[in-house]
Amino acid sequence: MSKIQEIATAVENGKTKIVAGLVEEALAEGCDAQEILNVGMIQAMDVVGAKFQRGDIFVPEMLVAAKAMKKGVDVLKPKLATAGSASLGKVVIGTVIGDLHDIGKNLVAMMIESAGFEVADLGVDVPVAKFVEAVESDPAVKIMAVSALLTTTMPAMKDTVDALNASKDRARFKVLVGGAPITQDFANQIGADSYAPDAASAAKAAKALV
Amino acid sequence: MLTKRQNLLETIKGGNPDRFVNQYEAFMCQPTKYGMIMVNPYVESGEQLAPGGTIKNQWGVTISWPAGVPGPFPVHDAEHKVLKDVTEWRKVVKAPNLDFPQKEWDKFKPSIEAIDRNEVFATVFNAPGIFEQTHYLMGIDSCLESFYEEPEALKELIDYITDWQLDYAKLLYENFHPDAVFQHDDWGSHLSSFISPAMFEEFLVPAYKKLYGFWKANGIELIVHHSDAYGANLVPAMIEIGIDIWQGPVTTNKTPELVKQYGGKISFMGDIDNGVIDRVHLVNEDGTPIDSAESKAAREVIAKEARRAVETNGKLYYIPCCTMGGPESSFRGVYEALTEDIDKLSKEFFK
Repeated sequence: MSKIQEIATAVENGKTKIVAGLVEEALAEGCDAQEILNVGMIQAMDVVGAKFQRGDIFVPEMLVAAKAMKKGVDVLKPKLATAGSASLGKVVIGTVIGDLHDIGKNLVAMMIESAGFEVADLGVDVPVAKFVEAVESDPAVKIMAVSALLTTTMPAMKDTVDALNASKDRARFKVLVGGAPITQDFANQIGADSYAPDAASAAKAAKALV
Repeated sequence: MLTKRQNLLETIKGGNPDRFVNQYEAFMCQPTKYGMIMVNPYVESGEQLAPGGTIKNQWGVTISWPAGVPGPFPVHDAEHKVLKDVTEWRKVVKAPNLDFPQKEWDKFKPSIEAIDRNEVFATVFNAPGIFEQTHYLMGIDSCLESFYEEPEALKELIDYITDWQLDYAKLLYENFHPDAVFQHDDWGSHLSSFISPAMFEEFLVPAYKKLYGFWKANGIELIVHHSDAYGANLVPAMIEIGIDIWQGPVTTNKTPELVKQYGGKISFMGDIDNGVIDRVHLVNEDGTPIDSAESKAAREVIAKEARRAVETNGKLYYIPCCTMGGPESSFRGVYEALTEDIDKLSKEFFK
């Protein structure tokens, strides 16, 4: 098994304690940092996402896999910066005002980050103005990801997307929505660019948007 | 005509119900928010939370209830997490006091004694459950990571919470002698259980065997467990721990298949998703109907979902109900509209 394949297996299995060491070994052996990231980590997390979608693994397995990847990325970061490598772009994510659900949003953030994006998490119960400010104050933002888990907070999602659609910078970013009561029809109605039914799909949708 | 209690028992035992059990009707026995036995000295000892408010509960967990949403949520930003490292739980987590003078319990007894136990079940309500209590303390991400990273510490914490829940259950039993327990503990998202069946078996089955085993050993007739989530993969474990009725199965569970497969060992109460039916107010604040195209369309969705649910699940081992964890809806009039539709369907299906 190649060192990069070893890293991928360790990430897939959530081996948080050994990934950093494996990445150091791979670098010492002359492996390319970008290849370690793409094959050893991002592809590994794609596998994790697919297993989650199939119901082969559950949330804890996803969480520890993402944590393992982060440990490896921390080792890779200086090398990637030197090589001039860039992320796929910046994604801002949050759960709409009035809604305190965080697990779905956190899983989406994790999978999007694992797919190669930089993620800024605004948290839960996020006012409309904070979403708008987040995208207008940072030209690097390419995607606004908006979550709502309650039928009662779907109007807040609409308000949020309305405000984002009215932003002076609207041409620069895309809007991705999701959450248990959200459907493709609802996403279309409120003028979102994309909808994802689960965390793994959200990562794919984000990649398709940029 | 059977009483509500008799009709429910006929339904879950594969007998001869004379109508559909209508949502929560058989558990509503008190003049409380959910109609169940919800107040006692412990509940009264905590700060009372109303929509729009924030409190710190007896476990030290900050709970917020944003106005206009169905229920409260724990606050888990860095400032408010009670337990930041599960291995430190012994130093940090302090179970609430349950030592109350007997006269504090006695004041609730007249209301309990007035329950017509032939008509309904004297049902105690309890939330949060054992799993929920762990993630209320530490945040759900940290909690779920702990299943992998600190399993022994998490098991100890689960044991500690379970022991407290048992002490609480003993007090409820000694003072109220309920016929049924309605226990909340959400075990999944809309699409999957939070943890695998194997992990569930390892971590939560022993805890719930203790808790529900206590109730069963003391003659409780029904354990009703609320989890409005996917959990089809956990049904064998639900049966193992003694759940009689799983309340809250969402449609992603393919509930009719579960009824066919497990009916007789467990019954299912739900399969009408609030995410689908509970989207629009049907009545004004004063209770008068809203006459709009939107409310009419919403009303049709409720009727259609109720019919789909009873046609596909059948008359036995299934109770048509919204997935909400109590007899209410997020939008005014929805629960009542569903109740009305189930009554109509009973007349049609039980001629």
